[in-house]
Amino acid sequence: MFHETAFTDVRCDRALDDASAGFLMDEETFRAFYERTARGLWAYLARLTGDRQLAEDLLQETFYRFLRAAATYENETHRRNSLYRIATNLARDVRRRSLARAAAIPTGDDIERVPSGADAGATERTADVTRAMSRLKPRERAMLWLAYAEGASHQEIAQVLGLSPTSLKPLLFRARRKLADLLGRAPRGGKP
Amino acid sequence: MKPFDCEMESEVLAAVLQDRWPARVDASLREHVAACAICADVVLIAGAIDEAREEMRARAVVPDSGRVWWLAQMRARREAAQAAGRPITAVQVIALACAMGLLGACFGATSAWFQSALRSGAASLGAIRFQALLPFAAAFVAQHGALFLGMAAILLVVPAAVYLTLLRE
Repeated sequence: MFHETAFTDVRCDRALDDASAGFLMDEETFRAFYERTARGLWAYLARLTGDRQLAEDLLQETFYRFLRAAATYENETHRRNSLYRIATNLARDVRRRSLARAAAIPTGDDIERVPSGADAGATERTADVTRAMSRLKPRERAMLWLAYAEGASHQEIAQVLGLSPTSLKPLLFRARRKLADLLGRAPRGGKP
Repeated sequence: MKPFDCEMESEVLAAVLQDRWPARVDASLREHVAACAICADVVLIAGAIDEAREEMRARAVVPDSGRVWWLAQMRARREAAQAAGRPITAVQVIALACAMGLLGACFGATSAWFQSALRSGAASLGAIRFQALLPFAAAFVAQHGALFLGMAAILLVVPAAVYLTLLRE
């Protein structure tokens, strides 16, 4: 399950209202949901795209599409999965358009830049992770981030990325090995 | 078959994400991780990614929730207005076409010059023997086949090229 899900489930089944431009979610519920999810989602998008500004633009677009989807959600996890699925699809579309235009794909340099005064050791380790992750495929980055930064279950990751849960396991396994190699895993014996 | 996951993986992941690893976990779990390549990778990756996540979240500058809500409302209203405007435009086009048709019918019914021109045109079209023209047309096509093929290709390729260019733009 995703982090920060311990709060009351609120079903968003309000009637259509002209004042809220046809959104099923009211402002108060939206703002509370946004406060809980925006930073994590921004980090996910920044990791997928390697571009802070693009991550912010996609964040706003994701929340807009989420509001316009006018769907009802069974619980917070379901709602959050939908949000991440929209974000993943948007990031994928941006990447496809960039490839079609033969534009440079961000390498993650942008999100490596840090403000002065930050913890140098932590920053260096984050930069290592950024560099290593930028060498993975976008889908590998997404599944690793969802699994180990967001704490999502296999079922949830499969749902967000549009994969079958059975095919996720080997893909996640390979992505994990690849990243471990890139991060310089210590040589070891043991199983498997 | 090669195992893709370990039954202890979720326990190890929970320990890392809850900052219990390695000091506040059972010795048996530490021993397991020391012997299991999958769980060792989980410890390495989950630790690194979780730290990166915390740092990125701390650095994240996200727009204010009120601003996002307000912009979304404005945009939804604008799109709703545009969507509502589209059928009106279609109706306007149909109405214009109907008016033009009606005007043409009135003109045709009332203009003596138009009616006589229409009659003479129909008479001369009836006088043409199309079957007699067929052998001449066939001979012309056989003689200039390449030219016809070229023109047909241009007719097909040019619209397709224009369409693809517009699509890319």
